[in-house]
Amino acid sequence: MNTDLLIVGGGPAGLNAAYKAASNGVKTTVIDKWFTLGGQLKQQTQFYNNLPHHFSKQRGFQLADHLVDRLKALDVWILENHTMIGAYQDGNVGVTDGSDTFPVNAEKIMITTGAMEEPEIFPGWTLPGVMTAGAAQILINRERVLPGERALILGSNDFALEVASQLHDCGIKVKGIVESGSELLCQNDELAVKMRDADIPVLLNSVIESATGKGEVEEVYVSTDGSKSLYDVDLICIAKGMTPILEPFEIMSCDFTYQAKLGGWLPRYDSTFKTTNPSVYIAGNAAGITSMGGILLTGEMAALSVLQALNATSSEKIEKEKQYLWDELYRIESTENRSVRDARLDVIKDLHYETGVQLPAYLDSVFGGLING
Amino acid sequence: MHIIDHPILEKDDRKVIQFYFNDEPLNAKAGQTIAAALMANGIKKLGVSRKLQQSRGLFCASGRCYSCFVTVDGLDHVLSCSTLVEDGMKVYSNLSDPEVRRGRE
Repeated sequence: MNTDLLIVGGGPAGLNAAYKAASNGVKTTVIDKWFTLGGQLKQQTQFYNNLPHHFSKQRGFQLADHLVDRLKALDVWILENHTMIGAYQDGNVGVTDGSDTFPVNAEKIMITTGAMEEPEIFPGWTLPGVMTAGAAQILINRERVLPGERALILGSNDFALEVASQLHDCGIKVKGIVESGSELLCQNDELAVKMRDADIPVLLNSVIESATGKGEVEEVYVSTDGSKSLYDVDLICIAKGMTPILEPFEIMSCDFTYQAKLGGWLPRYDSTFKTTNPSVYIAGNAAGITSMGGILLTGEMAALSVLQALNATSSEKIEKEKQYLWDELYRIESTENRSVRDARLDVIKDLHYETGVQLPAYLDSVFGGLING
Repeated sequence: MHIIDHPILEKDDRKVIQFYFNDEPLNAKAGQTIAAALMANGIKKLGVSRKLQQSRGLFCASGRCYSCFVTVDGLDHVLSCSTLVEDGMKVYSNLSDPEVRRGRE
């Protein structure tokens, strides 16, 4: 099949990009390996208060529905249950539905595969009942199934506390947040207050020593400053951060770089969100773990770059929109995750330095001293 | 166990369907994945690891970690987290190294 733009991954970044591209007349195809669109946004029941100005404040699953619904009126070809599994020698992308594989000929490809959760390894971590925090959240909010009755959360970042709070609200007794460091990683004070209100203890300087049980988790030893305590839990949720999903970029021979603040290894990209493969663009968490605002904005910016590359609309209009989007990205990442903002800029600057292509003027004005200094 | 009164989401009015796990009839809700339907019935152990035969269950729920294999209607090595349960489906634990599926010849 032929398409102008192939988007790999139908989460918030891909869906927002698809809307931008298709509403400007670009023939757009979205593939997603899952049986529904929306990605990990589908099971986010919390409110997003810090979204770009052109989105209203809403809960995650409502935002997912909105992003999917507004594509219906547009000419977007959506293939759920379809996975990118390779590239042909002529540059076509190999897509499969599990039984048939076919080539997709696309002018441009945008890869918005998001991120995966990092595991944390301890004796017994493979027992049933040990799962990622994201898995537990899928169970309660998408499947409406309780993954256990008594839980420990391993890790204390924002997502760890968000999931702890959601599990608690669904009736699960959360017996503790286990953090190896000497302070809570969560930057959101509201969530920290929620833990106190819900009587969920935060166990600092603590690690899970072992999880045991007959066929599933029954007992867990937590070591705090060297002293061991036994927890009677049947669920351990691991929340140790996320890292970009890279396989499709590897298939497309993109170059990679390492930025701990962005989640580890990620594809190199420039200020247009183009990777080192000139046909391949990137957005969302794949371009560095960020907030929901950052995910939406990078999707839109990458789509504008595709429009520009395909001469689909006036360059002047695009540059003006990009200026607004960069301002928004700067605003949101400055309040939510400043280190992500700076690390992202490092990635972009690094590639521009190598190619000798000048950074656009609006980037200079947005980041000001950051770029010159 | 199913969540009856979700603190945020609307009432769950999905149809109840029946499937089998190791020949035992179980209820599920239409639209659930196999892994979730089993979890709702208190079943967490979905199979064993290939070498040491240690218990395995749902880990990432996103189709990436490959910890949740089951056999579905005779087909080995099906990811229970990414496959929807169907009425009458016969699901078995993944208890041994499965046959590697070949392409069509």
